Amino acid sequence: MKSALHNMNPAAKFIVVTICMLTMAFFFNPWTPLLMWIGVLLIQLLFSRIDWKVWILFMIPFVIMAFGYFWTTLVFAEDKSGPVVLSIWSINITEVQMNHALSLSFRVLAFSGLSLLFALTTNPVSFILSLMQQMKLSPKIAYSILVGYQFLPVLKDEFVQIQQAHRLRGAIQEKNAIHRLLHMRKILLPMLAGAVRKAERAAFAMEARGFTGEKRTSFYKVIRVGRLDGYLVGLFMLLLIISCTSVLYIN
Amino acid sequence: MIRFDNVSFRYPDEEEWIFEDLSFSVESGERVVITGPSGSGKTTLLYLCNRLYPENCDGIVKGSVTLFTKESQSYSPGEVNHRIATVFQDPDAQFCMMTVEEELAFTLENLNVEREEMDGRIQDVLDLTGLTKFRHSIIQQLSGGQKQRIAVVCALIMEPKILLLDEPISHLDPYTAKQFISWLDELQQERSLTILAIEHRLDLWGGFFDREIQLEQINDVNPMSKRISSKQEGQSLEVANVGTESFLNDVSFSLNRGEVAILAGPNGSGKSTLLKALCKLIPAHGTVRPKHLGYVPQSPEFLFVTKTVRDEIAFGGGTDADELLSRLHLAAVADAHPFAVSHGQKRRVAIASMLCDGREIILMDEPTSGQDAASMVELFGLIDERAREGTTFLIVTHDMEFAFHVADSVLLMKGGSLTGKFDAAQVWRDEKLLAEHHLLQPKGWMEHEVCFA
Amino acid sequence: MLKSWKLKEVVLMSLFSVVFGIVYLLFLHVGNIWAGFIGPVAYEWIFGIWFIVSIICMYIIRKPGAAVISETIAAAIEVLLGNAVGPRLILAGIIQGLGAEAAFAATRYRRFDIWVLMLAGVGASVFSFIYGYFLGGFTVFSTGYVLLMLGIRIASGAVIAGIGGKAVVDGLLATGSLRGYPITRAKKGEARA
Repeated sequence: MKSALHNMNPAAKFIVVTICMLTMAFFFNPWTPLLMWIGVLLIQLLFSRIDWKVWILFMIPFVIMAFGYFWTTLVFAEDKSGPVVLSIWSINITEVQMNHALSLSFRVLAFSGLSLLFALTTNPVSFILSLMQQMKLSPKIAYSILVGYQFLPVLKDEFVQIQQAHRLRGAIQEKNAIHRLLHMRKILLPMLAGAVRKAERAAFAMEARGFTGEKRTSFYKVIRVGRLDGYLVGLFMLLLIISCTSVLYIN
Repeated sequence: MIRFDNVSFRYPDEEEWIFEDLSFSVESGERVVITGPSGSGKTTLLYLCNRLYPENCDGIVKGSVTLFTKESQSYSPGEVNHRIATVFQDPDAQFCMMTVEEELAFTLENLNVEREEMDGRIQDVLDLTGLTKFRHSIIQQLSGGQKQRIAVVCALIMEPKILLLDEPISHLDPYTAKQFISWLDELQQERSLTILAIEHRLDLWGGFFDREIQLEQINDVNPMSKRISSKQEGQSLEVANVGTESFLNDVSFSLNRGEVAILAGPNGSGKSTLLKALCKLIPAHGTVRPKHLGYVPQSPEFLFVTKTVRDEIAFGGGTDADELLSRLHLAAVADAHPFAVSHGQKRRVAIASMLCDGREIILMDEPTSGQDAASMVELFGLIDERAREGTTFLIVTHDMEFAFHVADSVLLMKGGSLTGKFDAAQVWRDEKLLAEHHLLQPKGWMEHEVCFA
Repeated sequence: MLKSWKLKEVVLMSLFSVVFGIVYLLFLHVGNIWAGFIGPVAYEWIFGIWFIVSIICMYIIRKPGAAVISETIAAAIEVLLGNAVGPRLILAGIIQGLGAEAAFAATRYRRFDIWVLMLAGVGASVFSFIYGYFLGGFTVFSTGYVLLMLGIRIASGAVIAGIGGKAVVDGLLATGSLRGYPITRAKKGEARA
């Protein structure tokens, strides 16, 4: 049971998470996103074995962002109708404003909860394979993405080496964001030039092994859709319905 | 099996033919090697044999290429690739999946092999090649030599009739390369494969090939002769107790003005780490005098930050850029983009810019890997010339042939520690010491000995 | 549509996406956490950097679909690299890519000058803003604030993605490493004409 989310079909998980997010966009009360967030947490507690320390680490920036949304919505609100619920200095905050602010902040939390649920329980390679097997993603694109992913450690290492070489030459000024952004171009140049070379070599190696980009008839690693996916999709839909209808029974 | 009749080839946006009226054939079971200097079209020729060209570059072909019994253009894409398999030269850029098993399965999927058959075929080919233990390994974590073997396995799993090799050992150290070649030798005999290879240096292959086709007479670039030492009195580099927290044990040594030292040892023994520690590119303790050392990475372009060769050399604020341009034979490309000049020139630019910054000690990381004979001679000349003017060199290389010709002294490393600094002649004599550091006795030394015996 | 694409072109888009993925990962994220306090407007000025891949790839490869496919691949790569924003990036990638693609389609893939590249950056900005407006619930913000965000994003798209993308590719072109890609052939044609 603890591995249910990890074993869920990645494409199905992707769709269900996306549906939940898109639906959240239609609600401007605080309860819907809050319930969604709590629900997602519960589902993860019950059906996954993720490292909660990592989860908290990832969640911190989103909590800060949620706060940013909160005060922005209060200060730059469009709709300032309704009874005043709070006065800070001479600024009056109405009930509508407060509800909107809470709603958007909780929405940020709900989104990040859903995203982290996906990110922490999905194997990247299986995700791409699943998009290809269940959602008809072209093998040409799917395998190109996998090649890129496979190159990540090599390119990361190159990035560090180039940075070191530039530092040796005294070419890196760590003054401010604009400087760093402009210097980025100089680091990008050797990296992209190398990427062009590598892309050609990798593509040739694939073609030399008979890859044509056509649909394939059989897969070694089959990503299945099964009963488990049905149950989990059902569970997410139930959560979605509960949180969307919350306005009817809360208050 | 492969026949070329009067084949000519050129790229669409260039006027000049890469090669013209080329005819040859390869028979079943033969081991043939095509040689020629860089730019003679070896790679192009190989790509015509596995049908990567002309489609991929829109190249223009005259004459006819026959693969097995049919004209090459009459095959549909991918149709011929499982019968003619290819191993490429770059161990880093010929895989597309994470693990060995996934990579092999990818190949089988391309051939539309039934799923039930796949597992058996993967097991068989790994057993045949003695690589079963790597089945679940992550490819990018393997060494260069292991990756090249996996590349061969990926080719063999298709059960090809012909194996094409594109300079497969150019990124391997000589010890690993030798092992790779004898392994390949056994495989060829077991499978009675036809092998067609391209290669710019045959010395490590021994008697592997039955026949050699020369694309272009290799201009006998004067073979390197042993350098006369330019080591002068007076220490120029002093290293005391340099090490890193995690890996590098305390290293101490010193070099003189004009001294050329080679740093050698097995892959992963800490050679590159030591160079970086000396240049303060990674956090390290210990003292290095002088503080500022010159550093040329394996890809010299990693250093480049400007748009012309001249600006590149002058970047550090040195004033004698123009003089260095002419001294290092770069005046003709002074206004070219540093990325667009030849590899040998890039290396010159890198050294010139270090010298212009007043960095008189040059550390070079693997400048010999993947270089052909002409470019080695060029590198040799460059180092010799600079050393005569008092520059000190510390060079990481696997190429003992090159080391023999250029080195005054040899620093050997193993497992993160410096075994010691030796006089070059003493190292070449000591076969046991060399073997302990995965090195081969240079042929140059053996010939040298014979002459003077 | 994919039939006319060479495999090396698709792999190129993927590797470029990884390179930019590393840039985002190792470079832009550091120290940007606190920007969240400022609210949604904080990230607007840097938005162009998310569109740059689509403009770079289209400028090099010059085939219909280059912008939208590359941006989609870039988003997928981001998800694989473990970006915590996760699956909604893929949808965002498709939409942004369509915005950039629209600009090139409007010129029938014939013009690739600085104006069209900047227009593509603006297109990506506008499309992505509409998506963000919906998903981020910007309706509750006052019109002035929304217009401010949109303005910064458009400027960022035009400058960072349009001008920056062109600068990066022109630099790359000067190194001679883009031989065999349509941009090199096109430049040669221009030089002859």
